[in-house]
Amino acid sequence: MREALTRSGIAGVLLALLFVCELTGAVWGMGSRPPVAGMPASDFALPDLEGRTHSLSQHRGNIVLVNFWATWCKPCTTEMPAMQACYDRLRDKGFVVLAVNELEDEAKVREHIRSMGHTFPVLLDKDNQVANQYGVYGLPVSVFVDQNGLIQEYVKGSLLTQERIQEVVDRLQGATAQKAATRS
Amino acid sequence: MSGKAVHRAIPLLVILIGVLGLHFTASRAYAACGAVTCFVVIGSQQQVPQGGLLTTNTIYNYTPMRLLSGTSGVIPAIDQTERRLILDHHQEVRTITNTLTFDLNYGITDRFGLEVTIPYLWRTHHHIDGLGEDGPNGEGEPTTFSDNHIGDMTITTKYNMLPTLRSMLVLGFGVQLPTGSTQATDSAGEVMEAPTQLGRGQVGLIGSVYQTYELIPHRLNQFSFASYRHTFRNNDGYQFGDEWNLNIGANVVTVPWLVLMGQFNYRYLVHDNMSASLEQSLPSPTPTPGDPIVIAPTIMNRQVPNTGSTFLAFSPGFQVNLDGLFDSPLTRMASLYFYSQIPVARDSNNNLAQGTSFIFGLTKSFQVLNPEG
Repeated sequence: MREALTRSGIAGVLLALLFVCELTGAVWGMGSRPPVAGMPASDFALPDLEGRTHSLSQHRGNIVLVNFWATWCKPCTTEMPAMQACYDRLRDKGFVVLAVNELEDEAKVREHIRSMGHTFPVLLDKDNQVANQYGVYGLPVSVFVDQNGLIQEYVKGSLLTQERIQEVVDRLQGATAQKAATRS
Repeated sequence: MSGKAVHRAIPLLVILIGVLGLHFTASRAYAACGAVTCFVVIGSQQQVPQGGLLTTNTIYNYTPMRLLSGTSGVIPAIDQTERRLILDHHQEVRTITNTLTFDLNYGITDRFGLEVTIPYLWRTHHHIDGLGEDGPNGEGEPTTFSDNHIGDMTITTKYNMLPTLRSMLVLGFGVQLPTGSTQATDSAGEVMEAPTQLGRGQVGLIGSVYQTYELIPHRLNQFSFASYRHTFRNNDGYQFGDEWNLNIGANVVTVPWLVLMGQFNYRYLVHDNMSASLEQSLPSPTPTPGDPIVIAPTIMNRQVPNTGSTFLAFSPGFQVNLDGLFDSPLTRMASLYFYSQIPVARDSNNNLAQGTSFIFGLTKSFQVLNPEG
């Protein structure tokens, strides 16, 4: 009797472990560590709300703010007006915003963007792949990529302000100008 | 992707539930224990919070234990003071445990967390003591026990192996500290039996695995939690049996402020063990009550009959996210939840069995350090 009990107990535990492994196995390879400043930003290609594909590499030569967000994430939606303001002011000076939405319904995202009047490209990361590529497991996350495709800032959680974005852009543009001056 | 995961999960879930069902119908578990507290997976308690985030849970739970129909509740007495195990000496009536647990869960980094769990317990217990020995016909005497005190605290280190926006796989290693009382006395002035005391009196080690995956992002979340506890023998020569816990469940976000939750909770407790001599009470009732008969005078490690238990419950519940309802600093990152734990199958081995229990809780998170990486 006792042996039967032990056997069925062990079987139960093994099946439970199998169940856990089965579910996590599907996503096992997805978790990656956040990149650090100075690392090359890994390229990605995602569709926007109009179905056009945007890749990170197509913006090489510009300063790119890659912002990971979702409509349910309050801090994300709070910081977006600052991103929009900077985008309006700096888009002609080599500044690009790519707002990468995570795992949400396209119609919901479209409605949110329309109601907020945002004009920067909004990309859809429907299978969470780019977020995993950038080690994003909490929102919002903002990644500043410089003109050479190197990550210069990785901002987690804390709110982006216009001043903060302007300060990073000035610094990155200044560094490039300084490099160019040194070369000449 | 999510649809595939659901299809792959369902057969395994069915098999798991089937095996648990077979376990209850085809075999007889060994025992029940003097007192248990119900347990459900809260999620915010098992996760590793983001770096710098402190998540607090204040949880009240009410756990009644009564005899199942068809059981007599006649069990052995445990005399820690004189190291005696006296068979058929007690008849259990009921135990009610109220627990207020304060749980602090802190993300040291995004992957590494530290959790401190501090329970405060109020426990009342009723039984008939001295079968075959006390009373004119050896019918025993009603005895009560009541104590309220801090229980055994647990400190757990956790590592999130698989952090993504959709999933988490957290391995935990905990140490349970003997901060609970083990020497409280009953209404007769005797030291209460170890299983009913608020503390276990010795260090316990706990290993755990928590897994969660958003089957439908931000809508349907699946989770599982398994743990194993081993407690060492205390200074009274009493060793609580190992404990296995297995929980699986899902949460559905209906509207942003209301989450419906359901989970199955399975617990298997191994026999307790005591270093004691072995005696047998006289039959009760008896016209000639007297001292128990010594069966084996040698003090040695013996399994305690009628301890340990097997328990399967379903726990439906709901969570109200206050953050989505009110805009105030008090309700920011805060939620309330309620669960009832309804037994599905119990094997209490002629001892008290856990009845329908209730859990109320409040979760509140604080950003202690700037999360910026």
